[in-house]
Amino acid sequence: MSDEIQQMFEERLARYHATIALEPTDRMIVAGTGSNYFAEVYAGYTRQEIMYDINKWIAAESKFAEDFPEIDLLRSGRIWAPIFDSVGFKLYRLPGQDLPPNTDFQFVEGEWMKADEYDLLINNPVEFLIEHRLPRVLGELKERGSSRSYMAFLKGGMAYMLMAQLMREKVLNLEKKYGLPQPFQGVMLAPFDTLADGYRGLQGIMIDLFERPDKLLEACDALIPDSVSCAIATANPLKQYPIFMPLHRGNHPFLSPKQFDTFYWPSLFKAITLLIEAGYTVRAYLEGNWTPNWHHWNEFPRGKILCDIDNKADISRAKKEIGNNVCLAGGILDRMFIFGTPEEIRSRVKELCETAGRDGGFILNGGCGIPYSTKPENFRAYIDATLEYGKYSDTLKPKLKKVPAPSVGKIPSPRVITPWEVKLKEFGGVMGDETLIKGVWETLEQRAFCWLRFWDW
Amino acid sequence: MVQLTDLAKALVNLEKDRVNAIVEDKLKRGIPPLEIVKELNDGMIEVGERFASGEYFISELIYSSHIMKEAMVQLEPLFEHVDLGELGGKVVIGTVKGDIHDIGKNIVVTLLRNAGFKVIDLGVDVGTERFVEILQETKAKVLGLSCLLNLAFQEMKNVVDMLKKAGIRDQVKVIIGGTPTDEQVREYVGADYYAPDAVAGIKICKEIYAQ
Repeated sequence: MSDEIQQMFEERLARYHATIALEPTDRMIVAGTGSNYFAEVYAGYTRQEIMYDINKWIAAESKFAEDFPEIDLLRSGRIWAPIFDSVGFKLYRLPGQDLPPNTDFQFVEGEWMKADEYDLLINNPVEFLIEHRLPRVLGELKERGSSRSYMAFLKGGMAYMLMAQLMREKVLNLEKKYGLPQPFQGVMLAPFDTLADGYRGLQGIMIDLFERPDKLLEACDALIPDSVSCAIATANPLKQYPIFMPLHRGNHPFLSPKQFDTFYWPSLFKAITLLIEAGYTVRAYLEGNWTPNWHHWNEFPRGKILCDIDNKADISRAKKEIGNNVCLAGGILDRMFIFGTPEEIRSRVKELCETAGRDGGFILNGGCGIPYSTKPENFRAYIDATLEYGKYSDTLKPKLKKVPAPSVGKIPSPRVITPWEVKLKEFGGVMGDETLIKGVWETLEQRAFCWLRFWDW
Repeated sequence: MVQLTDLAKALVNLEKDRVNAIVEDKLKRGIPPLEIVKELNDGMIEVGERFASGEYFISELIYSSHIMKEAMVQLEPLFEHVDLGELGGKVVIGTVKGDIHDIGKNIVVTLLRNAGFKVIDLGVDVGTERFVEILQETKAKVLGLSCLLNLAFQEMKNVVDMLKKAGIRDQVKVIIGGTPTDEQVREYVGADYYAPDAVAGIKICKEIYAQ
């Protein structure tokens, strides 16, 4: 990578870090969105092409970076479809498959965990996942014990490694060729959302609130160590990018504030605290409207979290109530990108730069993303206006801190299915260097467990 | 305000076992099933009112529907057809083509039925023409279009345009709802109303049929 591009990359990343840390920086981040759906389709490929063909995905991002060289971060697309196909994942409908090739992918609601399986989930998550949940959500496991079902696990594992490699290629293309950092790396769901999204489903979880609240709470707590360790396993090793958390059922009015305080928040708070103690920052999408509940974000150490505020909530109010503790992103209505005018975008950007965004700790964005149907002239107006109105300092130059933040406290150990001690006993001891064998055994076991959790949502 | 019976109150208080016990007891004592259903329905209406006032949330709405559904398991086999909805007017509703989300729509459907409307729920990913067909067939005065994704804006506009083409635009009031919608989207789509939440949607339907 050329020096110039390296410098641009480090400057952009340093600007992002300072913004999240609520520290002074030179200007507002340009297009600091975590989900640039517009970038996915801008080059003219269908959504199906992007999801299936990595070369087109990379080409699409390259074209976007070339046509909009002012942007500071870029991440487009969310799904690499072949891994879903390898196992017959039922939680999504995909363009080109059971949706027309240019329709958005969509989540399928279902009950993938039964009400009487809480104890199993709590006490033996591996058995719960392999014997109960995965056979329900992975269509290729339909005939247990068949060759096809064995191949599904193998193909799914191979696809997992292949996907990691391809995503890395995509990220490196942006970094080395265009100096563009990622908005996040690694992902974790709130424990309550793990249960509500892809396990019990919405119906199930609401019934559980009333019929088995103790089990629900116990399960939320039981999920924490594995959620945290699997998130760290896929996060940026240098801790340079925040860990991503799309948050769903904290959206008012799904839960009453009392239910939120009792069921949704405590395990979420513990899980995020562990990530922060491990030295990571977090980028959380507060999807929908979090107004009655967002005061909780003040409980964290200052400058460790970036909260995306969705279109349904008032970001200026968020700034007043939590903006001194967490960085905020949002402020522009999706429909303004879609059928508004460049003048409206300019005006809104100016307004936000002069008010909620005036003192930093603020990233202009749509509602947790830039919509697919954004008009190019509106995106151009968004960039230009950010540069025009979002300047903080003529003298400050962002400088990247390259040393990863330290880890404090006890980080949960990643789960294994068959511990080394069991394997060693079966060996009856080894004749050479045990650590050489143990190391790889445990690494593969941990990755395999995280693969079981990959299908949570 | 309707005076709530013990059964209705049990439903409002989300006491599932008590509801089932009272239903069983009433049936044993020979109370007509239709009367029992009416009491339960009064309870559901009160649940809806509490949701409207901000005392209850989607959690309570969903759980009360669950209790109601379970109670109906005892009652449904006992009579052929329960039609509580004719008097309130017909509402055709669906999630537009390209969008399969329906949580919000289903809440609206529940509340509308509780309020006495006859709801023709077309489900999700509904083809443009299908809305028009069903409106022509049922002569419903209200069409509700739901979405979660903003790709639906164009599709909603297509539906309204198709109503014009079919010559029935002036016979139908179109309400749009769903997370990404607002007044500006209503204007773009050419709809008559925008409902920011389920309760507002019910109110609009009542207003339309009161005219």
